[in-house]
Formats: sequence, structure tokens, C-alpha cells
Amino acid sequence: MEALGINLPLLIAQIVCFGGLLAILWRFAYKPVMNMLDARSEKIEESLAAGEIVVQQAREAEIAYKEKIKEAAAQSQIIIDRASKTGEEIRLKAIEEAKEEAAIVVSRAREEITREKEETISALRKEYADLVALAASKVIGKSLDKKAHEALIDDVLAESISLRKN
Amino acid sequence: MVALLALTVVGFAAGALGEVLLSNLDIPDWMRVERPEPHLPGTALFYIGPFPFTNTFLATLITILVVSLIAILATRKMKMIPGRFQSAFELVIGYVLGLCEDIAGKKLGRVFFPVVCTIFLFVMFNALLALIPGYGSVVVTTVDGVHTELLRGANTDINFPLSLAIVAFVMIEYWGISRTGFFRYMGKFFVFTGFAHAFKDIFSGKIGKGLKALPMAFIEFFVGILEFLSELVRLVSFTFRLFGNMTGGEILLVMMMYLMPYVLAIPFYGLELLMAFIQALIFGGLTLTFAYIATLPPHGADEKGEAH
Repeated sequence: MEALGINLPLLIAQIVCFGGLLAILWRFAYKPVMNMLDARSEKIEESLAAGEIVVQQAREAEIAYKEKIKEAAAQSQIIIDRASKTGEEIRLKAIEEAKEEAAIVVSRAREEITREKEETISALRKEYADLVALAASKVIGKSLDKKAHEALIDDVLAESISLRKN
Repeated sequence: MVALLALTVVGFAAGALGEVLLSNLDIPDWMRVERPEPHLPGTALFYIGPFPFTNTFLATLITILVVSLIAILATRKMKMIPGRFQSAFELVIGYVLGLCEDIAGKKLGRVFFPVVCTIFLFVMFNALLALIPGYGSVVVTTVDGVHTELLRGANTDINFPLSLAIVAFVMIEYWGISRTGFFRYMGKFFVFTGFAHAFKDIFSGKIGKGLKALPMAFIEFFVGILEFLSELVRLVSFTFRLFGNMTGGEILLVMMMYLMPYVLAIPFYGLELLMAFIQALIFGGLTLTFAYIATLPPHGADEKGEAH
């Protein structure tokens, strides 16, 4: 024991030294470092979880976004379809209306023409009758009574119409 | 490069080997390295009552100072995102903490960790500081009139490894008893259960069966006693493993410096650097392992033997 140098007071002092170092390190190294390591791993775990959530949210948002775009496209297609349909309808309606209007105008014009023609014809006929009456009175030299007169006119007229037709 | 080569050659020539092999060379005296006289006990610088204040004890105090200073500086302003110094310190502490948690589990590992880590740091820094050039070069005259180094690595004084071994031993037994209970823990070493079963069989009429169980009971008892002895022997093996390695390393360095001074002795410094880490790891690791084994319930896994 002597040769090795084992010495009780020194031994005890060394044990006390160990205790002292343990206490110092406990206070200044182990506790803060362990706390820090734990806090850090906790934080990393949290961040990872949070990151996971964010990624998930982003994915969901993307899906929702795509869905929206798809919907919007569908909606716009519908709107376009509807618009073109409406346009077509309007066009057809306008054409229809125009046609109707045209028909009305044409028929009115035709009526007018017919009316005018008839008026002209009746005026002509009247004049013609007067002329014939005058001519006849002049030729016969005598005035027919009214009844005979008109019968005569009708005869002439019928003759003239048949003549015209031929 | 040339200077290094020259120093290598001169160093070799100036050393003891060179002196023998090339005795005709005239090397100036100041280049000669004195013949070392290693001695095992630390030398007392002065006495406080019966307490010898040795150079190794001074080295212990310096180690404590250095380790504490590093710890305080590293953890003074702890940040979530650490700087280099804090990172390095956390790396070391985290390494030992990881070791403890790997071996003994998360909860128990944290119980063992402070003692294991202190042993690890203490042993390693003792050894590393002793390797700093100039550490053993300051020579003083003690009150006893002896010329000696002012500082000598504490690992090379048997009191230091022995104190660590005692601490480790006491803590291991304490953990073992507190975790498994006094009687259950002692039951690992003093195995009477075999006898109890055998005699119960004999007295309850099953004499044949009881007699057959008796030799097994003897063997179990004997194994228990061996376990107990190995527990005590651990104290010695712990002490001398560290003491032997460190003292041997120190003497190796001194002898190499004497035989082939300057450059050729450098590889042995590298060896001792490695040794500092390995011995610290072995001491801490074994303490951890034994502590864990001690806390296992008896008759669990068959845990015996000691790594050397």
C-alpha cells in the first residue's frame, strides 16, 4: 500500500473533489444541457408536426383550388352556352320579327294597292258610265228615263267587260 | 519540412538511443534529456495537518477548475440554436447522455447519467490536461526537500482512480439496493433458496428429490459467493485499469522522450490522446453497465462477467 501511495486523507479529498465537480457540473452542465436538449427535441417534434399540418393544409388548399377552377370553368362554359343560346334566340327572334314585319308591310301594301286599284276602277267605271251616258244621249238625242238608262249602261258595261276579256 | 527532419535527426542523436549508437557525436548538454525516474505515489508539495497536498491533487483541482469553467462558459448563454462552443459542449454531454439512455433506458439512464458523465469528463480531462506540453515541466522543491514536478496527471496517482472506483462502487450498490430492495438485492449474492427448497422436500417426505436438489443448492450458493467477490474485485479492477493505463502511458511518454526526444516521440502523444478518451469511456461505460445490471431483478437474465 505504501509503495502504491494510497493515502486515506488524500483519498477522501479526492472523493470530495469528485462530489464537488459533480455538483458544479449538475448545476452548470447537466441540468441546462439536458433541459436544452429536451426542449430542442420537443421543439423539433412540434415543428415537424406543424410542418406536417402545413403540408397537409397546402395539399388540401391545392385540391380545393383545383376544384374551384374546375367549377369555375364549368360555370363559365354554362354561361357561354347560355349566352350563345340567348344570342341565337335573339337572332332568330329578330329574323322572325323582321319577317313578320315584312309580311305585314307587304300585305298592307298589297291591300293598299288593291284598294287603290278598286278605287281607280270604280272611278273609271263611273267616268266611263258618265261618258257612255253622255255619248248615248248625244247619239240617241233623247234622254232616257232613269231606269232605262241604267239598264242600258249595264248592258254596255257587260259588253265592254266581255270585250276587254277577249 | 527540412527543419522537422533536422529536428528528428538531432533529437534521435541527442536521445539515449542515439547516445549509445552514436557515442562519438558531441551533443551539447542542454539538448540532452535527463534520465527520468518514474515513481508511483504523488509527491507531497506541502502538508495541511495530516493531509499531503500532492502535485497530483493540485492537478485534480486544476482539472476541476478547467472543466467547471468550460461548463459555465458553454451554458452561460444557452440558445435554442447553439453557437460552436455550445454545440461542441452539448455534443459531448449529449454523447454520454445518449450512451446512458441507450444502455439503461430513458428513465434509468438519466438517473445514472450525472455520475457516469462526471467520471467520464473527470478522467478524460485529467488525462488530456496532463498531455499539454509544459504540464509536467515545472519543477519545484517541496517542503521535504525533493525536486519534483509541480503538476502531475491525477490519473497517475492511485488515490484518484481508487476514489472514483469507490464512488462508482458505492453508487452501483446504492442503485441496486434502492431499485430492487435490500433483501432481494442481497439475495443475488447469498443464495439460500436452493437449500430452502431441498430441505422442504426432505422434511415433507420427498427425501429422494430433496437429496438430489442438495448439490445444485450448493452450486447456487457458491456461485452467489463468487458474484459477491466479483462485486468487490470490481473496486480493484476499476482502480488498476485506469491507474495502470494512465501511469503506463505517462511513463511511456517520458521514456520515449528520453530515448528519442522531440519528433520521434510525437506518435506516442497521439496514442495517449486516444487513451485519454478510451479510458474515460471505459470507466464511465463500465460504471453504467454495472449499475444497470445491479438494478435488474435477480434471476432475470444471466448477467455476469466483467469486460477488461
